[in-house]
Amino acid sequence: MSASGRSSAHVAIVDYGLGNLFSVAQACRAVGLGSTITNDRPTIEHADAVILPGVGAFGDAMQTLRRLDLIGVLRDTPARGIPLIGICLGVQLLMTESQEFGRHQGLGLIDGEVIRLDQPQEQGRRLKVPQVGWNRIHPSGGGTERWSGTPLDGLHDGEFMYFVHSFVVVPEDQSVVSSTTTYGDVEFCSSVSSGRIFACQFHPERSGQRGLGVYTNLRQLVEAGAEERRTSA
Amino acid sequence: MTESLETYYGLPAEVRFCTRCVMSNQRPASYPEFKHKKDRKAPTLHIDGDGVCDACRYAERKEQIDWQAREVELHRLLDRYRRSDGGYDCICPGSGGKDSVYAAHLLKYKYGMHPLTVTWPPILYTDYGLANFRRWIEQGGFDNVSFKPNGRVQRLLARLSIENLLHPFQTFILGQKNVAPKIALKYKIPLIFYGESEAEYGNPIAETNSSLRDKSYYSMQHLNEVYLAGVSVPELMDKYSIELNDLTPYFPADYKELEEGQIEVHYLGYYKKWTPQEAYYYAVEHVGFQARPFRSEGTYSKYNSIDDKIDDLHYYTTYCKFGLGRASYDASQEIRNRHLTRDEGVALVNKFDGEFPQRYFQEVMDYIEMKPERFVALCDQARSPHLWKRAGDSWQLRHRLS
Amino acid sequence: MNIRIIPRLDIKGPNLVKGIHFEGLRVLGKPENFARHYFEQGADELIYMDAVASLYGRNSLAAIVERTSREIFIPLSVGGGLRSVDDIRAVLRAGADKVSLNTAAVARPELIREASRAFGSSTIVVSIEAIRRKDGTYEAYTDYGRQASGRNAVEWAVQAVELGAGELVVTSIDCEGTAHGYDLALTKLVAELVPVPVIASGGAGTAAHVCEVVRDGCADAVSLASLLHYNRIRHAGDAGDDFASEGNIEFLKGGATYSRTEDVSLRDIKRALQASGIDCRYEAVS
Repeated sequence: MSASGRSSAHVAIVDYGLGNLFSVAQACRAVGLGSTITNDRPTIEHADAVILPGVGAFGDAMQTLRRLDLIGVLRDTPARGIPLIGICLGVQLLMTESQEFGRHQGLGLIDGEVIRLDQPQEQGRRLKVPQVGWNRIHPSGGGTERWSGTPLDGLHDGEFMYFVHSFVVVPEDQSVVSSTTTYGDVEFCSSVSSGRIFACQFHPERSGQRGLGVYTNLRQLVEAGAEERRTSA
Repeated sequence: MTESLETYYGLPAEVRFCTRCVMSNQRPASYPEFKHKKDRKAPTLHIDGDGVCDACRYAERKEQIDWQAREVELHRLLDRYRRSDGGYDCICPGSGGKDSVYAAHLLKYKYGMHPLTVTWPPILYTDYGLANFRRWIEQGGFDNVSFKPNGRVQRLLARLSIENLLHPFQTFILGQKNVAPKIALKYKIPLIFYGESEAEYGNPIAETNSSLRDKSYYSMQHLNEVYLAGVSVPELMDKYSIELNDLTPYFPADYKELEEGQIEVHYLGYYKKWTPQEAYYYAVEHVGFQARPFRSEGTYSKYNSIDDKIDDLHYYTTYCKFGLGRASYDASQEIRNRHLTRDEGVALVNKFDGEFPQRYFQEVMDYIEMKPERFVALCDQARSPHLWKRAGDSWQLRHRLS
Repeated sequence: MNIRIIPRLDIKGPNLVKGIHFEGLRVLGKPENFARHYFEQGADELIYMDAVASLYGRNSLAAIVERTSREIFIPLSVGGGLRSVDDIRAVLRAGADKVSLNTAAVARPELIREASRAFGSSTIVVSIEAIRRKDGTYEAYTDYGRQASGRNAVEWAVQAVELGAGELVVTSIDCEGTAHGYDLALTKLVAELVPVPVIASGGAGTAAHVCEVVRDGCADAVSLASLLHYNRIRHAGDAGDDFASEGNIEFLKGGATYSRTEDVSLRDIKRALQASGIDCRYEAVS
């Protein structure tokens, strides 16, 4: 579990008042990845990766991000070649828009919308919303090669991850879907991966040892990216 | 300010708290209840030069006791009395509380004895208390002799003991402590086992070196020693037109008869390390004992003395008379057993001590046919000036536990 | 849907304790060691309850929450003596993922709304501890089973969710610590009435009880204490050295066992669930 030495790379965990920032920071710490919890724009701009966590309402989140003047820097991050990692609400904020409590604009980094988990059923019984608990993720498109080179590298088809959510993302372009998960009779996209963007509906920092593996991968990707930028600078 | 304040009951003028538990030197030591007269000046809890009370010293010594050796002693004792001819070889007095469950069950199922349980029922049974009694007998599996005294006399004595001594619990104490030796005589069962020794609560250490309960507690030599509700027997008979026969259930057994019958009363707590909380777990595990479904008023606990509605009132009177409420008693016991730190005990006492037992109050008043105002007036009269002062409409203790 | 198995650790000062009907606080060992053990056995979440918080007017779990969140990466719920939004914030800062409210919420239900607005519904769990009345209804209790609230527990459950609770823990005080099984009727009543997940608590003595409360009690998750703790004590070699000198340690010193619980581990319980057709996070080969 402990990292093989501390990384020189450093990530920014965006603090917009919502979410389990501390557990994300603990997970980074556990794999030797330096992190800062911050909502300071320059700090975020200079980070080797940006993690957008979050728990709560979409509309409130976007409003706060707007107020903190972070929308621009977040939108720019992938374009600048810096990895942008979204967790839980974070994956939802990347989308074009959400239907939660009205219609809200998202960051628009991934075309698609956010809709409510719609009356999932299992053996005739209605399942509770939000989904709270462990569920399996499956690589979209069939094989785990889909996850190669992403933070999900090395995980098994059917790996258990921890979910807490009432809404799901529906990307327009299926090719960005990295994993799918089934809750009752509803199959939904549980993570997306596209260019420098990786975002998951589940909480890898709360998903035990296997979830921590996602952070280990993250560290490697972030270091590789930082190294690349250094050498090409 | 050195005004000299009057002290009631012969209590020490200066209030001192034990530095280990939360008891004070105002606590009366155990004494034969049937000798309790209105003007008695009983000895109180002794606190030594280091600020440690006798009960805590006893607890200290408990840690040094060679329990293996005591176990051997117990086996020897039991081997002498154990019967295999179908008769009873010992008596376990109790009413189904955690301690009597523990004692009886242990003696029967671990040590192979044949106990007869003997019960003097509570004055006013709580329903969960009665359920626990049934569980003791039915699930625990014991024969039981219950002696239910004449209701009219009990009611009278209950009222008188409150009027004269502000001691709601006296009739129960008298009955409970005296019935077992008398049954022992009648059934010719010479061995009686109580649970914890009185030393656990700070009675003179001299008493605690033996497993035997001092005979003076449960025997009399002459009827003129006996005072019930603070009144002598002849006066009771005369003033209230009751007969000697009506009062005998409250008398202790005769000293000579006990000697001849070779009746011995032992404390099981002398032989087995007694942890009240573990007695609770034992009782739950083995007979399904259930704690009170709510906190006892005046304290934080739920499983101590929960079968008699008058009990709650009893602790309120100790609060008035000695400045010590139920939480003080419970917390001190748990501190001595190391379940609580003294700081926790202090917090609990300051939070709960003296809480008025509202829940069953009216029912008790109805039972003894006393007006609530009268009871409150009796409480006020009983507050020793050296402990209490008036603060507006209410009373305040002069000292605060810290 | 995968049923969650959630060990519940009642903590008093430095010790893991376990009562019966929330009474008696027998010390069972060091909470950190039990937590680590359960994490390794595949616990889905953990619950830490400060057993004396209401009694002493404080919640003192921050230190152990911090330590736990450093090495155990599954969700942690923390409760006991949380009275205000500030109290909640402090505990979340220490590393808790969710907080559990009871006494303070009953005293001031608006607290639930304020807390769920501030931290998100999914962070706020309301714990309902109930005793069955003679007429068959259930009454909610506060202060760790010490104070009757006068409220109907099931109605209160519905109200708590309306105010923003994201999950409910429903504990039968009558059953807890007895190893006789859960109160299926109580669990089912609440589970069928509220739209959020319901965690059943109080009474597990066998693996079958756990299956039962899911199948017949309609629980979405199951909380366990005695069954797991006493099992660990039976088998963990180091548990004997494991306790501070404070508290009721007679049980541990005596080397006794609690005869009423089945000798099953967390892993055994999950296996039993799978075998009876109830999905949970379980891999046959670890």
